Amino acid sequence: MVLEIKKISKNFGGIQALTDVSFSIEQGEVLGLIGPNGAGKTTMFNMITAMFPPSSGEIGFLGQSLSGLKPHEITKRGICRTFQNIRLFSELTVRENVMVGNHCRLTTGVLQSVFRTKYQKQEEENVLRNSDEILEIVGLSEFGQTIAKNLSYGQQRRLEIARALASRPQLLLLDEPAAGMNEKETNDLFDLIKKIQALNITILLIEHDMPLVMRICSRIVVLNFGKKIAEGTPSSIQNNKEVIEAYLGVEEEDELA
Amino acid sequence: MLSELINPYYLQVATFILLNIILGVSIYITLGTGQLSLGHAGFMSIGAYTSAILTLNYNVPLVIGIIIAAVFTGFIGVLIGFPALRLQGVYLAIATLGFGEVIRVLFINWEGLTNGAIGIRGIPHLGREILSFSESLGFSPGMIGLKNNQFVSLAVFLVLLIISIGVIWFFIRQSNSRIGRAFASIKMDEEASEAMGINITYYKILAFGQGALLAGFAGALYAHLTAYISPSDFGYHRAVEILIFAIFGGSEVIWGPIFGAIFLSTMPEFLRVISEYRFMIYGALLVLMMAFRPQGLIDTNVVNWIKRPRLKKKEGKHGTGNKKDK
Ligand SMILES: Nc1ncnc2c1ncn2[C@@H]1O[C@H](COP(=O)(O)OP(=O)(O)OP(=O)(O)O)[C@@H](O)[C@H]1O
Ligand SMILES: [Mg+2]
Repeated sequence: MVLEIKKISKNFGGIQALTDVSFSIEQGEVLGLIGPNGAGKTTMFNMITAMFPPSSGEIGFLGQSLSGLKPHEITKRGICRTFQNIRLFSELTVRENVMVGNHCRLTTGVLQSVFRTKYQKQEEENVLRNSDEILEIVGLSEFGQTIAKNLSYGQQRRLEIARALASRPQLLLLDEPAAGMNEKETNDLFDLIKKIQALNITILLIEHDMPLVMRICSRIVVLNFGKKIAEGTPSSIQNNKEVIEAYLGVEEEDELA
Repeated sequence: MLSELINPYYLQVATFILLNIILGVSIYITLGTGQLSLGHAGFMSIGAYTSAILTLNYNVPLVIGIIIAAVFTGFIGVLIGFPALRLQGVYLAIATLGFGEVIRVLFINWEGLTNGAIGIRGIPHLGREILSFSESLGFSPGMIGLKNNQFVSLAVFLVLLIISIGVIWFFIRQSNSRIGRAFASIKMDEEASEAMGINITYYKILAFGQGALLAGFAGALYAHLTAYISPSDFGYHRAVEILIFAIFGGSEVIWGPIFGAIFLSTMPEFLRVISEYRFMIYGALLVLMMAFRPQGLIDTNVVNWIKRPRLKKKEGKHGTGNKKDK
């Protein structure tokens, strides 16, 4: 078991975003996390990466509790994420974005950096090489020197993944990576996720693109109004009554609101 | 021959421009992590008073005094850096401006140590120290055909020039490294860089401490250049002056505050009128820059344009379609 979510609840000043959600992720799988808008999926990512502390519950990673760790410490442990609303370092180049992602695997400090010790030079060479390898994987090799904000939307989404990969995660959290992508880009994304899986990286995927989710996930967890309403294989989820109702019910809820 | 070329007055002006460059860089470093600190006049005064008191009252050698003053100010900067983490943008600016005023009032009232509003006189002068040191080695300015005051101004200018180049070199190197990348990413998106594994607490405090250390260092140099300091040297007009170097020149690249410091300290020398209305002009500049060029005159594009006049720009195609289906 890579990640174990134990009865996580999160309350945002009255809004119950998550209520006693538990599930776990097995080594090497792609687990889908789906649910209607506002179901609490992104909030779950924020709990795992310690962007906010949970109101209650605990998260275990590779047998150790993540409670009380800071976000950067979580990343160092081997969990990294992408953002639903792209949050690249928009003025940096594509390659620099990936290099920033590599930060937590490097050790040179101020003096070594300024006086360019042998070790520092070697480390910088490795960073450049790693970054280029990762850009190759996500198919952005030719854009290394491009300023990140000048990339197309789909390319920016892939750069988010590249930046996260640079931290050498064991568990990768993808928050709607296909949002805003056209069909071709979504197909490329499918291949990319497969490639990442082949690198022995476990993936937790939030996605609204159901065909993609059904095609790529080994198991799916469904949230609705902050509660887990179903968990299982894609086919069992597709035929789950409560899940279908949750998705159909959205319009009704909107009208009520 | 040489003696005709060396005008002590111009050298002094140039020396203070170099000092302003160091101050400009000091605020740029802190800004480099997105922290706008207006406390640099306060940090400067801590450095100035520390070195003045150490050298004057405790006979500490001048060089040691300056180093201790810089390190001590850096330490104070780290202490201030922690509460500063809780403040963003304009709130941080106001709080640090307040910090500077508190320090100034403290120096006015701590008369036993600082001589209050009257200030401290007779601080060992960098130039004269250099002169007496070289005389002790059997050298006299006359040997190279210079008058004493010419030699002193020249020596001080050269020392400041070497120090400034060293400072600029240090921070250019730092910015082209893992540290610089961390600073830049924090400036652009603090939460995202935290999520990418960057210890933002460490780097923000590092930047705050480095900025304070540099301002304290400049303050200590200032004390030994003028030989006289008083709290009014470090009032809020000084804080604004340092800020305007970075706002006018730019705070994206190190050349911005350097250009700002050079330009804004040179202009009053050419146009006396500017000198009289200095702070009015600063105020107008602040408003104009914020309205029309918030990144300052020198930004990354300008630097790239200077470096590579015919750089081809690769534009990505922009994605189409916004889909959100269920
Ligand atoms: N920082 C926050 N402060 C207050 N409320 C929040 C915060 N973050 C999320 N929420 C609320 O928690 C609920 C769950 O939001 P969340 O972003 O997790 O949904 P989601 O499942 O990711 O939805 P979507 O598919 O639209 O991205 C929403 O009602 C949202 O308004
Ligand atoms: Mg979301």
